[in-house]
Amino acid sequence: MKTILKYSAALLAMAFALAPIYWLITISLKTEIDQFASPPVWFTFTPTLRHYAGIFAHDAFGHYFLNSLIVSTCSTLIALALGLPAAYGLARFRWPGDWSRGISFWILSNRMLPPIVTIIPMFLMLREIHLLNSLAGLILVDVGLNLPFVVWMMRGFVEDLPREIEEAALLDGESRLGVLLLIVLPLVRPGLAATAVFCLIVAWNEFLFALILSQTQSAMTLPVGIASHVTQYEIQWGAMSAAGVVAILPVLIFASAAQRYFVRGLSLGAIK
Amino acid sequence: MTRRLPPGLVWVAPALLVLAALSIYPLLYLIKVSLSDARGFTFEHYTRLFQDRLFTVAAGQTLFYALAALTLEFFLGLALALLVDSLAHGRALVRVSLLAPMLLPPVVAAVIWRLIYNPEFGVLNGMLRQLGFHTANLTWTSGRTSAMLSVILVDVWQWTPFLFLLLTAGLQSIPSEPLEAARVDGAGYWRTLRDVVLPLLKPTILLALLLRAMDLLRIFDQIFILTQGGPGSATETASLYIYRTAFRFSNFGYAAAMSFVGLVITTLAARGLMRLMKIS
Repeated sequence: MKTILKYSAALLAMAFALAPIYWLITISLKTEIDQFASPPVWFTFTPTLRHYAGIFAHDAFGHYFLNSLIVSTCSTLIALALGLPAAYGLARFRWPGDWSRGISFWILSNRMLPPIVTIIPMFLMLREIHLLNSLAGLILVDVGLNLPFVVWMMRGFVEDLPREIEEAALLDGESRLGVLLLIVLPLVRPGLAATAVFCLIVAWNEFLFALILSQTQSAMTLPVGIASHVTQYEIQWGAMSAAGVVAILPVLIFASAAQRYFVRGLSLGAIK
Repeated sequence: MTRRLPPGLVWVAPALLVLAALSIYPLLYLIKVSLSDARGFTFEHYTRLFQDRLFTVAAGQTLFYALAALTLEFFLGLALALLVDSLAHGRALVRVSLLAPMLLPPVVAAVIWRLIYNPEFGVLNGMLRQLGFHTANLTWTSGRTSAMLSVILVDVWQWTPFLFLLLTAGLQSIPSEPLEAARVDGAGYWRTLRDVVLPLLKPTILLALLLRAMDLLRIFDQIFILTQGGPGSATETASLYIYRTAFRFSNFGYAAAMSFVGLVITTLAARGLMRLMKIS
């Protein structure tokens, strides 16, 4: 009896979590008649790909998608390129006193800055140097968003490695850079991949910075593009839901690749 | 005089410089903007803050939103973590399903719920009608009181998984000895939970609450899509009000002052919480 109750509660929770996502997918596959049917149609409708064809035929949507892809990939790569050496430096060098801890915490505290605080000066600064409505400005801001996270995560992964191999290589005359690239990098690859996935998701989902820094259609990212259509074309449920599904897909694919590292990634490494 | 710099600094310096350029410099710039207007130095933006009723309302609503959502998400997340932990089969499947909402772009999550809440064609009212309810007055996001509850529900839907995930990890890292000992002593489920599990889970609980609270206080995306702060200013939060002030009314000085004050308050609150965590 108790077991049945437990499983029903678990099923109910699963339904609450998944039904809205399922609903979005069905709407994106329904004709208008089925979308607005009352009572609502959950399973028995003839699916159509018309809405998907519609959004991809629309030039702007391809732009949004491509922009999101460029911004999230570039910002992730730059954050990794800056963050991995920093993590290695913090984990493996002798630092006077409490420096290593102090620097790590300062880096992490950057992550705690609310975007609404940095967005005003960022907007004004980027306007001065004419980087508004450019992908470069957005990439820069997303690097700032992800870099603290990369350093924090990768420092943990590097510290988890045994030091002996690295020390042997250093004794053999290998340079520090060689050690990082030839020994450390291959060993932390799973952790690095997971970190990259989290950075990609953060940059892909990011909204507030993109909303303010890229207001022209050619520079908009997917979330901003979707948002602008929500308020303008309230009634186009098909286009809206199809765009939503397209925005979700990469995230789900990324995430399934990094499942094992969820906890560490989302708690900023505080729980391993 | 010639004390050498720590050798690791070369490795860390690029990251530090980039971060400083993206945080310290903007922060100083923000303070400068908040202290100046067209004629030069002024303290006016800060004095205005204390007389601005809209700011007080937005701050109060942010706090209400954050507290309500945090409470619901915590208790639901804890209950679910304990429930799933005690299942004999299918734990992995349940966990993955429960985590899904958290991964979606907040904008898409909000779009989904806009479709669900739509009073005329939304599935929520559609199902209620099927059950025989009158739904003519159920307007969800466009009613003054129901709007706040509706946006909170969306938050609970999307972010309970976050607390669920962290608490599950916390549960899994509890060593089995104290649990065994409690069982041998004949302690029942609830006794064990209260006297053994929850005390051991406390650091995780505090961390999860801290991380979630920081995000809740800056809430923007979902509300922007769902209600734009309306109807009236019924769901206006601090971030939305600052956004409007800066980017709709181009009053950057005042918006800068508000966000600086908000930053100071949340930093102090986070410090307090962190101290609490260290003591325990």
